[in-house]
Amino acid sequence: MADNVTLTIDGKQVSAAPGMLLVDAAEIANIEIPVFCSHPKLDPVGCCRMCMVEIEGPRGSRLMTACTTPVAEGMVVHTNTPQVAEVQEANLGFILLNHPLDCPICDKGGECPLQDQTMRFGPGISQLVEPKRLKQKNYDISDMIVLDQERCVLCWRCIRYLEEWEDKPQLGLHNRGNETVIDIQDGQPVDAKTSGNIIDICPVGALTNQISRFAYRPWEVERTASVCNHCSVGCNIRVDTRTHTVRRIIGRENMQVNDQWICDKGRFAHAWVNGENRLETPLLRKNGELVPVQWSEALDFIAEKLQAVKQQHGASAIGAIGSAKIGNESNYALQRLFRSVIGTNNIDHRDGADVAGLATGLPSLAGVMKPQYGPNPQVDTIFLFGIDPSEELPILDLHLKRAVKKGGAKLIIAHPRKIELTRYNGPYLAYEPGTEATLLNGLLRAAAGQKEGLNSTAVSHLADVKKWTEEADDRALADLCRTDPAAVKAAAAMLAKSEKALIIYGPQAARGSDGPAIRDGLANLAFLTGHQDRLAFVGLEANSQGARDMGVLPDRLPGHASIGSSDAVKRLEHLWECKLPTAAGQSYKQMLDGGVKALYVMGADPASERPEWAEKLDGLDLLVVQELYLTETAKRADVVLPALGWSETDATFTNLERRVQRAPKAVALPQSRAAADWAILSHLAQKLGAKWHFADAKALEAEIGKAAPIYRGLTWEALGDQGLQWDASALKSKPELKEVRQKMAKGSKEYPLTLVTGTVLFDGGTLFGATEKLDGVTVGPVVGLSPADATKLGLTEGAAVAVSSPEGSLSLTVHISEQVQPGSAWIPESLPGAPVGALLNGSVVQRVKVEKAA
Amino acid sequence: MITDSIRSEIDEIMTRYPAGRQRSAVLPALYVIQREFGYCPVEAQNELAEILGIAPVEVSAVVGFYNMFHEEPKGEYHVEVCTNVPCLLRGSRQCMHHFEETLGVHHGQKTEDGQFGLDHMECLGSCGTAPMAAVTDQKTGQIRYFENLDSAEDVEKVVDLLKSGKGFTTLERWTPEGDPENAGVTAGPYNHGGMDPKYLLARVKTPDSHTLASYEADGGYATAKRVLSEMESAAVIEQVKASGIRGRGGAGFPTGVKWGFLPKGVFPRYLVVNADESEPGTFKDRMIMEYDPHQLLEGIVMSAFAIEAEQAYVYIRGEYYFAYTRMQAAIAEAKAAGYLGDNCFGTGKKLEVVMHRGAGAYECGEETAQLSSLEGYRGQPRLKPPFPAVEGLYAKPTIVNNVESIANVTHVMRHGVEWYRSYGTEQSAGMRIFCLSGNVKRPGLYELPHATTLRDLIYEYGGGPELDDVPIKAIVPGGLSMKLLTPDQMDTPLDYESVAAAGSLLGSAGVIVIDERFSMVEIARRTLSFYREESCGKCTPCREGGAWLEKIMLRIEEGQGREKDLELLEYIARNIAGKSFCPFGEASVWGMQSNLAKFRHEFLDHIEATNPSSVGPDIPIRPIYRPDTHTPSGLHQNEQKPQGERIVLHDEFVPGD
Repeated sequence: MADNVTLTIDGKQVSAAPGMLLVDAAEIANIEIPVFCSHPKLDPVGCCRMCMVEIEGPRGSRLMTACTTPVAEGMVVHTNTPQVAEVQEANLGFILLNHPLDCPICDKGGECPLQDQTMRFGPGISQLVEPKRLKQKNYDISDMIVLDQERCVLCWRCIRYLEEWEDKPQLGLHNRGNETVIDIQDGQPVDAKTSGNIIDICPVGALTNQISRFAYRPWEVERTASVCNHCSVGCNIRVDTRTHTVRRIIGRENMQVNDQWICDKGRFAHAWVNGENRLETPLLRKNGELVPVQWSEALDFIAEKLQAVKQQHGASAIGAIGSAKIGNESNYALQRLFRSVIGTNNIDHRDGADVAGLATGLPSLAGVMKPQYGPNPQVDTIFLFGIDPSEELPILDLHLKRAVKKGGAKLIIAHPRKIELTRYNGPYLAYEPGTEATLLNGLLRAAAGQKEGLNSTAVSHLADVKKWTEEADDRALADLCRTDPAAVKAAAAMLAKSEKALIIYGPQAARGSDGPAIRDGLANLAFLTGHQDRLAFVGLEANSQGARDMGVLPDRLPGHASIGSSDAVKRLEHLWECKLPTAAGQSYKQMLDGGVKALYVMGADPASERPEWAEKLDGLDLLVVQELYLTETAKRADVVLPALGWSETDATFTNLERRVQRAPKAVALPQSRAAADWAILSHLAQKLGAKWHFADAKALEAEIGKAAPIYRGLTWEALGDQGLQWDASALKSKPELKEVRQKMAKGSKEYPLTLVTGTVLFDGGTLFGATEKLDGVTVGPVVGLSPADATKLGLTEGAAVAVSSPEGSLSLTVHISEQVQPGSAWIPESLPGAPVGALLNGSVVQRVKVEKAA
Repeated sequence: MITDSIRSEIDEIMTRYPAGRQRSAVLPALYVIQREFGYCPVEAQNELAEILGIAPVEVSAVVGFYNMFHEEPKGEYHVEVCTNVPCLLRGSRQCMHHFEETLGVHHGQKTEDGQFGLDHMECLGSCGTAPMAAVTDQKTGQIRYFENLDSAEDVEKVVDLLKSGKGFTTLERWTPEGDPENAGVTAGPYNHGGMDPKYLLARVKTPDSHTLASYEADGGYATAKRVLSEMESAAVIEQVKASGIRGRGGAGFPTGVKWGFLPKGVFPRYLVVNADESEPGTFKDRMIMEYDPHQLLEGIVMSAFAIEAEQAYVYIRGEYYFAYTRMQAAIAEAKAAGYLGDNCFGTGKKLEVVMHRGAGAYECGEETAQLSSLEGYRGQPRLKPPFPAVEGLYAKPTIVNNVESIANVTHVMRHGVEWYRSYGTEQSAGMRIFCLSGNVKRPGLYELPHATTLRDLIYEYGGGPELDDVPIKAIVPGGLSMKLLTPDQMDTPLDYESVAAAGSLLGSAGVIVIDERFSMVEIARRTLSFYREESCGKCTPCREGGAWLEKIMLRIEEGQGREKDLELLEYIARNIAGKSFCPFGEASVWGMQSNLAKFRHEFLDHIEATNPSSVGPDIPIRPIYRPDTHTPSGLHQNEQKPQGERIVLHDEFVPGD
């Protein structure tokens, strides 16, 4: 690093890093230079001319723009001379000349840099006597964003954000000169997944939030620093509320997590918090109908029924399902209740034990973000296996794009679909679901052939590796996996060559009985190529990591301790004053497949996933559901308990890099009798005779610190508003190579296509669906087909079809997409009215046929 | 929408640019699309975006920026009448009126049968042959100039010729006298003269002067051959540096010094020849390219050799279609002769020269804006540093030089430094092509040594004032951007230093003479209209301030001026000049600033005569805004038209009054 340079700004000595722009150096000295186009997260453009300062030079002082001029040793700068003041005033006069000054009805009013700078630097009066220039107002550039071209000051921030961060130009300058406007191409609304960030960075009210339009005045809202609960990135946000309703959500800076960006789902899809159909009172089934009852009646009923089932069938006939959408405290309370009070390990959550995860998550998000800010990237290669960040984790997607574009990182992608990130032309390994382990063996085989870059310990087992992976030759890759062998070789070479590669896989890649083999296959590859410390499983829900950390798993206690770990059992038995069950419990799937007589469901909706599960739920002796809404599962329950959700009660969430973050209470529901999940469980525990006395979420956090050593010290206060990562070093195990095999599903003539499923951002789930203004962007009930297959089947875009598997059938419309690989049919999860589970029925790999609807 | 044949044309265009830089093909590809459809349909734009690997909005942003691309059809023959100051001084108002009468439409409209579209246009580089109109044949995309349209009959002849379908049998300029279809002769090069012997303009009158055979018969390419076979690149740079050639585009930066800024060892390098001659009052490069293109090419060969570039682009303004075809033909001839290509003159040196048409944007004459445009972006200037010599085209070292500068290289290499320095002054060496336009008897090009006096140019060569009884009132010495001089400065020698000392700049040597018939209020307003029209819109002061100045001047013209408006004008101008992103800011207000300083009394008289009580205008009631989420305010449907519509002509105008 070169030494800092020293310069003088308004008589103050400032020391700044070489290359720093004057506008930033002035900030160090606490000197404000007004700006519009300049933004710390965007490349300088110098077009608004607001930041003119005087710089002394050999031929007198010159006016220069502070946002484009780098600091230099000995530079002397003045920001407060009469000349600078005149330029600032005149320039603001120019900016305001045609500005409509409709501040009273502008959503930006009150937090508008144009207002603030006019106040401080601007002219008191306009000298314009001619008519103002007219442009488009109230102009939708998408279902989420409204553009007002008259308010726009043409700073290009929105254009630059979409180019520099999204790498997706969708807004541009149109026309020229005085007629210049920001606009979209005709008929092509902005659809970048993080488009809403342009609202946050717009320095005027030109871009406003369609969803929150006229729903708030900035000075009237209460602001709560929180984290988003839509996915596992855990973006930091600010929740603005008034009169017990969420009015809007904006991004909040956390340089370890989301920089200052958030995705459109996180920003716009919040109507569910104040949804009209929220459950407000406990419901008990009487004469076949769910009727409102008092809390005591409901809890008494549950306690009584649970005890009866336990007596009759034993504790192992009782199960509990937790939720990766719910915070740590409640998940912890759930597993404690069922382990210590009921006495069973039948505890799991969706994508829990049925997915072969790893305990430790991403090493760090900042490691991915780093390349964009400095010359020392922490990762140079990123291998995505069965995960599509563009749809599943949009801010990770943003970081990855930036890492590739600015940091020069390489991207390798293995996915059954040619996902959006494949546009960066790294090797793309298409694969057929059900052949993942073979593909990984193929990669291992190719890696074993590399001359350099292999882990020295692992290399001693090369002979074994070559033997195990013999069958995964080019032919197997091409015929079974439908993967290009050349891409496999290129990917293996890149991994071996890489100094620091990050390997990320998602739940889609490691679900079901093959999951462990796939996980081991990835571990083999990571170990052999020397990246074992950077192999990460990433769950998709806001608290996927936390639910695992809390032990909402049938074979793991809090802190990822095995149920057979004597240390952990001893510690917990002492803490919980109980005797822990020793047998491993049932998984989510096993419980729902009929393994239990009584089921306690907290924040999950298995009935909507599979018709068969819905039937089985009907046949239970007891079904209790704690929920926000009367879901398909809740409709089948004996007791429904109204819960407080995210932003209604203090909770902590653990994101995909093990960062524990606070999501405090931001709204209250005065008319509702709903209670926090952990509070309901606490009362139930007491009804069951346990001595629980948690007064608030903090009390639970204190206990979590004792129950799970990795959470020690992570108290509410310590977390602050940027969160803390728990230390994964204690959970690192010694890497080893394991032989991996995968049984191949058989092809079928009747069902010629392989079903590919996964997650889309704008799905038909309860949380997203509640925001009706977003209906237009929701992915409808579609089946994606490759152009080749569509042609073969004689289907056109939008055609109505029946898609069936041996397990069931769905009515869908065709969407032809280059992303879908020939031979496969893509049906995302949670589409409105079309549960793909009907075709899977619990299987992971399924074959389907597509026929024109009758 | 894009058919296979259009596609293959676009594919060929894409090969003209380096791999991965296909975006550069956007302007030429849009010309193909426009030729095919008569305009640039959104669907075709989107398909083009896909072909070029860019986003659709990046194409539409380009379409909207350039004047010559249309979002709706403009008529089979699109007639554009230049109404900028040099033409204004020669009767462009009447000319436009004749077109309106003859075609039966107002400017901005199309005839009912869709055969003719009529528009006014900014300077088309035909100032010595004003008034004039450029006509685009939509079916072929060809453009032809129709010049010296002094009378209604002349205009009728033009319209008849076009209606007969014979308007495009040749692309050479048409004049009432030079009409091959009727009079049997072509007009040939426009009026020129000057010193004896001439160099830059020496050959333009030679029959077939544009051909290789004619050029070689006059000794052409011998110098290039010698330079490439016998000299080192560095020696060529030294010779050009020693000659003292200064940039002829306007800024006057020493050419050889610019070449010396190239970073050592960084390749590839590019030579970009700035043929975007758009400064009103300037029409010299056009003559070189139309009638002596090989002179320029030889200069390009030697300049590229000097800076070690293997690729040169000639960025020519889109309206110069005839010059474009002449250059294309010359390049083909030179390539066939082995003077360009993989083995220039058998020396093993490589050079490809590609013609790249702009599409109607004055700002693209600014070198960084030109590079943006050449790369396929909106023609907006870029931050400097980095300077083009360090990071220019495609972020590679690039030299951007004006056509006349490069043509001078040909002569400096042929005749030597001492010969060159024997003309002009120490600081302003060599000869110069002066573009004389406006109210003189013989407007045209005059090749003269630097430091020829303004008086000699106007009286000796230009024949003095247009009308013997109407004296000259003001002179613009270097293109419309430059400050005005007055008749008492007639003895100013026309070199960089002397014109600067007189309070203006030599610029592009476009000398516009204004006589007493014209109101300086109108000149100021028309000048501002040009800069409002041509502002690229990137930076605030120029975009907002420029339009505001025009609004005020329009108001004053229409009789609602107030005395205090003059101070306001000065205040605005002061806060544009030097505060803008690029030099356009200064250029846009210098004319008005000097006009106000020297002819303030005319403004005051006009205000006094039209608005004696200084009553302000009726301020329109501000629109009412409703917080209504989904209903558009309807404001954009307002009847009020943008100010630009009113710039040129008023409906009630009757010629010959």
